[in-house]
Amino acid sequence: MSATSSNVLAQDSMSRKSLAFCGYTGYAAIILFIIGGVWLGGMLPPIPNANDAPAELVAKVKDNLLSFRIGSIFMIASFALFGTFGAGIAAQTRRFETSPVFSYVQIVFAAAGTTIALLVAFAWSLMVFRPDTYEPSILLMWADFAYFLALFSVPLFGGWCVLIALPIFFSEPGREPFPRWVAYVNLWAALLFAPGQMVIFFKDGPFSWHGIVAMYLPFIAFFAWIAVMSWVMIKIAHDENS
Amino acid sequence: MHDKSQTQSRIPGEPGIWAFVTGDLLVFSLFFILIAIGNQEQGGVFSSARSTLDLRFGLANTLLLLTGSFFVAIGVERYRINDGRDNRIWFRLAILSGVIFLINKVFEWNAKVSDGLTPMTNDFFMYFFVFTAIHAIHVFVGVVILSFLHKKSQAPFTPETQRGLESGAIFWHLVDLLWIMLFALFYLV
Repeated sequence: MSATSSNVLAQDSMSRKSLAFCGYTGYAAIILFIIGGVWLGGMLPPIPNANDAPAELVAKVKDNLLSFRIGSIFMIASFALFGTFGAGIAAQTRRFETSPVFSYVQIVFAAAGTTIALLVAFAWSLMVFRPDTYEPSILLMWADFAYFLALFSVPLFGGWCVLIALPIFFSEPGREPFPRWVAYVNLWAALLFAPGQMVIFFKDGPFSWHGIVAMYLPFIAFFAWIAVMSWVMIKIAHDENS
Repeated sequence: MHDKSQTQSRIPGEPGIWAFVTGDLLVFSLFFILIAIGNQEQGGVFSSARSTLDLRFGLANTLLLLTGSFFVAIGVERYRINDGRDNRIWFRLAILSGVIFLINKVFEWNAKVSDGLTPMTNDFFMYFFVFTAIHAIHVFVGVVILSFLHKKSQAPFTPETQRGLESGAIFWHLVDLLWIMLFALFYLV
């Protein structure tokens, strides 16, 4: 762990607590998504498929109506926490920047990322709101919309990772806001999100929005990235001596 | 004073770059498995699609990246020996090899699209376009990194700069390695 990153915080117990809080909200976001998106909501693994016929999707939605609805509530709670998670990272970067450009741009990306993620849950909720009234193709559009928001937004979420990595790389040795390996993890995460943009070309196979490369890889990488960044924030907050 | 002549057993570059390399190799391993499965399940489609690829493009790009890796290795070594003197040319040559690779790739993609072969044609071309595009992004990032190395390599010797140069060089070697695998799977198998 970077010596200075903890020393700066050692003088400010409020900062330590707030950083730990932001880290724990990252964990909470993961748990809430596992409940809402994986267990109940049918988003990962995806119960709808990009190549479903509209009527087929309607049947799937009706079969899982209650669990999808409850899952949507958990998902929107999860996604709202991206804001606190991102603010914690930006605050830690801010403590080490004389001219806090990267911290401010991180805030912009975190806010935009949170908004986009919230819209994923909105789209999912609308898909299950009144499947009997909407035209089947409209339900399909909501499913498309949810996955496009989540996966096609690579420059936003990938850019956020790059903006976390750059101030670490540009720091003077011993003055890094996070350990240098964290910068590499962020670049790797950005790389793993990249195949998400393939969803615009394909409706079946590994690059479609239900495929292993364009969907599973970015989704798993994203929540693994949150887990790593949360762990690092909490470790910095709790590490008094290093 | 740092003694450059002392021989120490150490891992080149920063530890983080090795984690990145391992992670990237894992992801590309998934890509390689997908190509292999496609090759097994749709042998006829893959075989006939492969025959439409121009081996000369692939071979030229392989030679470009291998040569580029050689230049980068010399550049890093010269930095260690010469304290930033006389090494500028090696990084420039490596950058040039990367840029020519990308130009060559654009010509190759363009030729295929002009022939009506797109990512939507069949699974072979889907993998071909997507995976070579992801690799081309690596090459582009590698060229940007080499530009930083070019600037960094002019500075007087410090162990930190040497580690930075080695980390960038390791990434470039990774780009090279990934291409060799893609070249074999798309053009030769």
